[in-house]
Amino acid sequence: MTDCTRRQIGGLIGGALLAVAAPHVIRGQGRAKVVVIGGGIGGATVARYLGDMKSIDVTLVEPNSTHVTCFFSNLYLAGLRSLASLTFGLETLAEGHGITIIRDSAVAIDPAGRAVELRGGTKLSYDRLVVAPGIAFKFGEIEGYDEAAAKIIPHAWIAGPQSELLRRQLESMEDGGVFVIAAPPNPFRCPPAPYERASLVAYYFKQFKPKSKILILDAKDTFSGQELFQDAWSRHYPGMIEWLPSQFTGAIKAVDVAARSVVTEGETIKAAVANIIPAQKAGLIGEKAGLTDASGWCPVDPVTFESTLQPGIHVVGDSIIGGDMPKSAFSANSQAKACAFAIAAFLTGSPQFPPHLFNSCYTFLAPDDAFTNALTFAPEGGRIKTVKMFISKVGESAEVRRRTAQHAVGWYSAFTADVFGGGS
Amino acid sequence: MKREPAAAIGSRAKDLAAEIRWLLSLLLSAILLFPESSSPADVSQGAQIAATCASCHDPTGGGQAIPPIAALDEQAIVKAMLAFRASESPSLVMHAIALSLSDDELAATARYLADRANAGRQP
Repeated sequence: MTDCTRRQIGGLIGGALLAVAAPHVIRGQGRAKVVVIGGGIGGATVARYLGDMKSIDVTLVEPNSTHVTCFFSNLYLAGLRSLASLTFGLETLAEGHGITIIRDSAVAIDPAGRAVELRGGTKLSYDRLVVAPGIAFKFGEIEGYDEAAAKIIPHAWIAGPQSELLRRQLESMEDGGVFVIAAPPNPFRCPPAPYERASLVAYYFKQFKPKSKILILDAKDTFSGQELFQDAWSRHYPGMIEWLPSQFTGAIKAVDVAARSVVTEGETIKAAVANIIPAQKAGLIGEKAGLTDASGWCPVDPVTFESTLQPGIHVVGDSIIGGDMPKSAFSANSQAKACAFAIAAFLTGSPQFPPHLFNSCYTFLAPDDAFTNALTFAPEGGRIKTVKMFISKVGESAEVRRRTAQHAVGWYSAFTADVFGGGS
Repeated sequence: MKREPAAAIGSRAKDLAAEIRWLLSLLLSAILLFPESSSPADVSQGAQIAATCASCHDPTGGGQAIPPIAALDEQAIVKAMLAFRASESPSLVMHAIALSLSDDELAATARYLADRANAGRQP
């Protein structure tokens, strides 16, 4: 409070008081307006933290009434969590944090007029806009794999119905079948996740379908946490998981949906169940609004997360590019907090401090065996640079790995409460 | 708060007194009517850094496996963070975070968390 001027204090107190007494009066009289497009991890976090400031009108636009977290959805695929336990309603953000939620999709953004047009016809004006559209898929890079094909051979890279489809297929698969995972090229959402998926499905197979195999056809030659995964695969699932780098196969070139087979440069592989994780890009509204560059992702200022292409529009989460932060829920949450404080500074004159950006991911190898990493980042020369990186080591004791798995469960509960506003 | 210049003329001083009375009455009403829930969130440096804590530590002070921090006093937080800064064990995450904070940032964060615990407020 020491940096506040007298007028700001009066404004804050008066604003807080009048907002409760007569919110419609305040809305008409120049309270700053922020519209957030997308109620995933990044968008929900920005909305929650701006809403808690109680001096800005926050509207969150999201077509779905609930969000299913991608993180922990591999536990669902292995039968270790219900999908309901990964599903969060947005109502707590409205009830507990003063956010107006509109169930609709943004179809157009007018940066010059500072307005968003929704599919239902509504137009929302804003002082600052936050776009958090997550990822979209580069359908067409694998011949025969498009949106229609994904309804038969799932990507399961956006959690929800796609996860359910893959789980059903794994459950109905006969013992002795081959489960093929096509792992995507960089950059993509959650770098260790294709390999965590292989690990946890192997855990399921080991109990119920022990003659089955998992084949990972990778578009890359190395992957995140590789040593830790390969060590765990030999300890827990010897002979069950085979990983083929791009240099051996040329990666997947085509999918035959009817035959449920995948085609690499040199061979055709018949799958009992297949999971094609396509190459990715920023969510579609990013491209439509001119927020993406040639990479297909959205470049941003690393301090404020304001687009470098469209002033007044901020982008957080998986759809951004421009530095070392991986595309993860933790990164999105960390970016969203920095973004919320930067927007408050722009709109209300509140103080802003250099952002502390973090990422930490828990990755399961088995239900009681997990590893973790921890990275810190700082803005440098217009980009987000890694400052420190720590990761679990191969050969840690079973007790350490079990404790990490327990921490993961505790983290999930606290993290989702932080994002969706539960528990406070 | 910024101080008024000493040369402020009489009418400004009167305006100021009236404004202060108005503010005090407003503040009193705010405290009586809305003791906590309607107060704007703190956006101090300590609060901005402490937002990071909420990504892993249960704000209600519960928490499974990850220790709660909601009720710790200022010195206990600083002491724990200095220990995390010195060693990778027992937590990679806390080691990374402790290394990223300067002594001043750590002090501001600990003060904010302790004040919030004293006030019995959630983040």
